[in-house]
Amino acid sequence: MNIKGEVVRVFPSDTNTDEIISGKYKYDELDLNKLAKHTFESIDSHFYEDCQLLRNPILVAAANFGCGSSREQAPQVLKACGISCIIAESFARIFYRNSFNIGLPLVECAGISKEMARGEDLEVNFDAGVIRNEDRQIELHFKPIPTFMQELLEKGGLMPYLDACGGYTD
Amino acid sequence: MKTISEKILSNRSGVDAESGEIVAVPVDLVFAHDGTLPLAIQQLGDHIVKHPKKVVAFCDHASPSPSEKVSNVQAFMRQFARRYGMDFYENGDGICHQIVLERYASPYKVIVGGDSHTCTHGALGAFATGMGSTDVAAVMAHGKTWLKVPETIRVEVSGELPQHVHSKDVFLELVSQITADGATYKALEFCGETVEAMSVESRATLSNMAIEAGAKVGLCAADEKVKAYLTRYGRSNDFKALYPDEGAVYAKQVHISADTAVPLIAKPHRVDNVVPVTELEGTELDQVCIGSCTNGRIEDLRDAACILKGHRSRARLVVYPASRGVLLDALKEGIVETFLKAGASIGPPGCGFCIGRTVALGDDEVALSTQNRNFKGRMGNDKSFIYLSSPSTAAASAIEGRITDPRNRDS
Repeated sequence: MNIKGEVVRVFPSDTNTDEIISGKYKYDELDLNKLAKHTFESIDSHFYEDCQLLRNPILVAAANFGCGSSREQAPQVLKACGISCIIAESFARIFYRNSFNIGLPLVECAGISKEMARGEDLEVNFDAGVIRNEDRQIELHFKPIPTFMQELLEKGGLMPYLDACGGYTD
Repeated sequence: MKTISEKILSNRSGVDAESGEIVAVPVDLVFAHDGTLPLAIQQLGDHIVKHPKKVVAFCDHASPSPSEKVSNVQAFMRQFARRYGMDFYENGDGICHQIVLERYASPYKVIVGGDSHTCTHGALGAFATGMGSTDVAAVMAHGKTWLKVPETIRVEVSGELPQHVHSKDVFLELVSQITADGATYKALEFCGETVEAMSVESRATLSNMAIEAGAKVGLCAADEKVKAYLTRYGRSNDFKALYPDEGAVYAKQVHISADTAVPLIAKPHRVDNVVPVTELEGTELDQVCIGSCTNGRIEDLRDAACILKGHRSRARLVVYPASRGVLLDALKEGIVETFLKAGASIGPPGCGFCIGRTVALGDDEVALSTQNRNFKGRMGNDKSFIYLSSPSTAAASAIEGRITDPRNRDS
């Protein structure tokens, strides 16, 4: 799998799910496309609009991205904004699991937040574990995601994956 | 030789599980609330719920409903629960984690909750972990979940906690040492003489906060105190003793001294931004909040009432008992009267102030709360500031209208 896109933002360490989508909205709205308009509202009010301007926006972050509340609305709104993948130094575990469960690709890559800037063109090769920054002409390597997680992405998330497998083997 | 996590997951998966392995386990209890169940129901789609008696639904985050939108979301949940005959807890019954502690959790159970503070139930020796709505849907459809057996960080607490220093302060000390992602992907195991001396309610605060250090679960041994707690709630048959093996292998060991522990505060806007209360004394407060799944139990309300008795609060004071049972006990003990006379607003059992949906702060306002998280905007306004503390520190601070060391007050 390959993703070619542009870095829409670089977020700092410990960007949390309350910042991604505030608790004051998540109970009101089951339509994720409407909810997406409030993504990062408290810290970055142009995020949603800027994502609409790009073909395959890629989000880059430092450590512990998505920490805090387990709200699945967090990766859901990012996906609804059009984010094609998120590359971070590390992810909080519930966010990591939630993203794969809904078919949003994540990549953990050391040093990423220092080597990428807003607006730069990237190509992410999931099989080889390579990120190429076209603007800086540099490559970063990451440990390819486990096969099982790639299968989750290919099937579009956990529910379709389990359906395809016929559930858990006993 | 096994850690508590390895024991539970081996027992439930039927394989000899070690840290790092992926196992599929049947789930004994899956629950979600008004913030997470609606999305889980959507993700479930046309699948049937496999074991409806193992699924519980709660209205606690926006409860009673403050708007027609929330009422419609809760109606959607209610219809779903009725269709399957699931246990459904209504507005005013209490916070999901408090009710699960009182009525459902027990040693060796695998519990999946659509809420990050599901780790609370580790205090009763359950492997209890928070997941998102799609995972909750998958458990409802298939009755199982997949898990990587976590490595464990052993947290040993020794000595005796001084007066007015509590388990909340012990956790804040821990997270200040290991930081907000210090336990990511790992289990925390709380042990040592101090933890053994704590009540189950007090241990539940430690377990509840485990996610604030990134942990998957926050476990305590299931000892005689757990047996007594379960018996109190008519569930003595659910007790099974559970201890880690002598010689179990831990990824890391952290030692905390209770003898030298002091009241601590987490400053805005991070839980690991911790300082002793003495460094912040005098900070003016607009609102003090006592309650939440972290510190809304009867012992927490007693600690606060003990300090507040006979005094009025200078800050706005809001108290949300964690469950109907807690509120009933508080009424019997005269605690509600103490809070009312202090000027408190008593909320219906539920999450209340913690997530800013039904109680919010104004621009530039400063709150001190006994909850678990102080991220920017957490209490409904990204232009406000949240400090975290124990109920004793919160009560002492309410009286002065400023952050106050509870050790300076007569109890």
